[in-house]
Amino acid sequence: MTQPLLKVRQAKKVYAMGDEQVWALKGVDLDIQQGEFVAIMGSSGSGKSTMMNLLGCLDIASEGSIAFAGQELSSLTKNELASVRNQRIGFVFQQFNLLPRTSALGNVTLPLLYSNVPESDWASRAKQCLENVGLGSRMDHHPGQLSGGQQQRVAIARALINDPLMILADEPTGALDTQTGLEVMALFQQLNQQGKTIILVTHEPDIAQFAKRKLTFRDGELINDERNNNVRQAALENTL
Amino acid sequence: MKIVILLKTAITALKVNVLRSCLTMLGIIIGVAAVIIMVAMGAGAQQKVDEQIKSLGGNVFFVTGAFRQSGGARSASVVKINEDDANLIEKQVPGVEAAAPYLSSAGQVIYGNLNWSTEIDGIDNRYFVVRDWDLASGREFTSAEINRGSKVAIIGERLRVELFGASDPIGQTIRVTNFNATIIGVLAAKGQDSRGEDQDDVIFLPIKTVRNKITGVSSTNPKSVRFIQVSAYDGEDMDYIEDEMSRLLRQRMRIPVGGDDMFRIRNVSEMIATRAETIQVFNTLLAWVASVSLVVGGIGIMNIMLVSVTERTREIGLRMAVGAKPSDILYQFLIESIVLCGLGGFIGVVIAYGFVFMGNQYGIGAGGIIETQVVLLSLGFSGLIGVFFGYYPALKASRLAPIDALRYE
Repeated sequence: MTQPLLKVRQAKKVYAMGDEQVWALKGVDLDIQQGEFVAIMGSSGSGKSTMMNLLGCLDIASEGSIAFAGQELSSLTKNELASVRNQRIGFVFQQFNLLPRTSALGNVTLPLLYSNVPESDWASRAKQCLENVGLGSRMDHHPGQLSGGQQQRVAIARALINDPLMILADEPTGALDTQTGLEVMALFQQLNQQGKTIILVTHEPDIAQFAKRKLTFRDGELINDERNNNVRQAALENTL
Repeated sequence: MKIVILLKTAITALKVNVLRSCLTMLGIIIGVAAVIIMVAMGAGAQQKVDEQIKSLGGNVFFVTGAFRQSGGARSASVVKINEDDANLIEKQVPGVEAAAPYLSSAGQVIYGNLNWSTEIDGIDNRYFVVRDWDLASGREFTSAEINRGSKVAIIGERLRVELFGASDPIGQTIRVTNFNATIIGVLAAKGQDSRGEDQDDVIFLPIKTVRNKITGVSSTNPKSVRFIQVSAYDGEDMDYIEDEMSRLLRQRMRIPVGGDDMFRIRNVSEMIATRAETIQVFNTLLAWVASVSLVVGGIGIMNIMLVSVTERTREIGLRMAVGAKPSDILYQFLIESIVLCGLGGFIGVVIAYGFVFMGNQYGIGAGGIIETQVVLLSLGFSGLIGVFFGYYPALKASRLAPIDALRYE
């Protein structure tokens, strides 16, 4: 068996709330292979967001180990973690998090600013990514001139710009209506078919049905890890 | 280049709130403009003083009769100073280039149907040496003319313009108050003196001529002069010359030890230089006050940058999530602050130029001179303020934890 993309062993995370210590994660073991489409589920306070932050190198585990592509994250410096986020991970957020006064093209280019990609390649790469998400004709539009679905697709294009190993999506459909949500999920499924590992954080069981594997968190523990035998096909539903 | 993108990012961010950016810059604008204007005024005053000293003819003393006090009544008695004193000083005091006797008067000068009221001064050729004043045309007085008190005149440029216009004045006869004189020379233009009076509005005659025809001869002091103007060679010890002249005159006037001088020696270049120094000190003080407003402006920048960092916490979080290192965030905000200060400094320079130009145009103040190094220094300093006061907010931004920044409401 090949090395897993993510190897989580006894990961714990503790937050100080005043004098009290709150354990957001109480020791999680988890392997995620390259090319998987995983949904992380749970109610608020279950630890799923904390898990996502740790997997996304936005935060460091208090105890235990997390290895990403064979690399132990707790041993990395802030700059090295930034580099991992830049090169290996693409983020998609519920509120899109686009820069408001910057064009779609500019927003997609943003991660390249912090990479070693030569500037002469930036425009062509960003255009390619926008065309891949079907926004080739709206490159000069500012976020305010785009619909929610279009904004989320710009965010996905931004996540793809450095050709990451993994895409982390935090409630990507939370701010969208059902129809545009389906379009976004279709895009994720398409990307997964092309080989991208996708980790989807959601509290909606409907949305989790699009993933091939479902992880459920409760009170800081992974209580269920199951293969989804009944994967919804967003592209199919969308055409109906 | 990444710096271009960082600059673009900074300008975009500053454009979001134009009014706020402008108000923030105001402190820097006023500070830089004030510093440059003050320094320019100081430089202008200095240049004017230099010009005055130059037009005076270098290292010059004025020797005049002192106030004579009898009982409680004081009067400006000049009886004690005369032409012989001038000759004595010139001969006996080492380092003296020339000592020129001078007798002043005023009156009307008439040529044809034109007349002009002017200064009528009695001198000899040494005066031109002391004043470092050349003839534009004609010749100086001959010794015979001086000894005899001939009715010959050398006129200033202003008088030539007023009476003769385009025609040649040399050899012409003009009426000076109550007698006729022949013009033998015209002086080169000299411009205004330290009090702003036109030095070219003058007619010079041999000192004897003026005494005999206009001021009258004093029975007690037949060779009286208004003052003696003494010039020293460059690099001579002015204090030594002053002491020597004083000693010589006291001896000549037989003033006992401890008795009051009956003359006064003034080192004019020194007086002007002292006045210039006072102006300089005052201007330097004002420039320092102005630079305090630069610091206050810098604190304003810091304040706004802190607000900006807080407002844009989510943006910082996003940038960190997509791979910005702490140093990238630090540079972003630092450059924003430098752009703000640099732009403010630039506008301040433009305003200072406009202000000084207008001042010079309409003759307000002593006139200003803006030196390039002062401009560069102010711009550099405002950039430095940008770095200094922008560093803390930028550091604060760079130290945010990505996850906290991203979730910031």
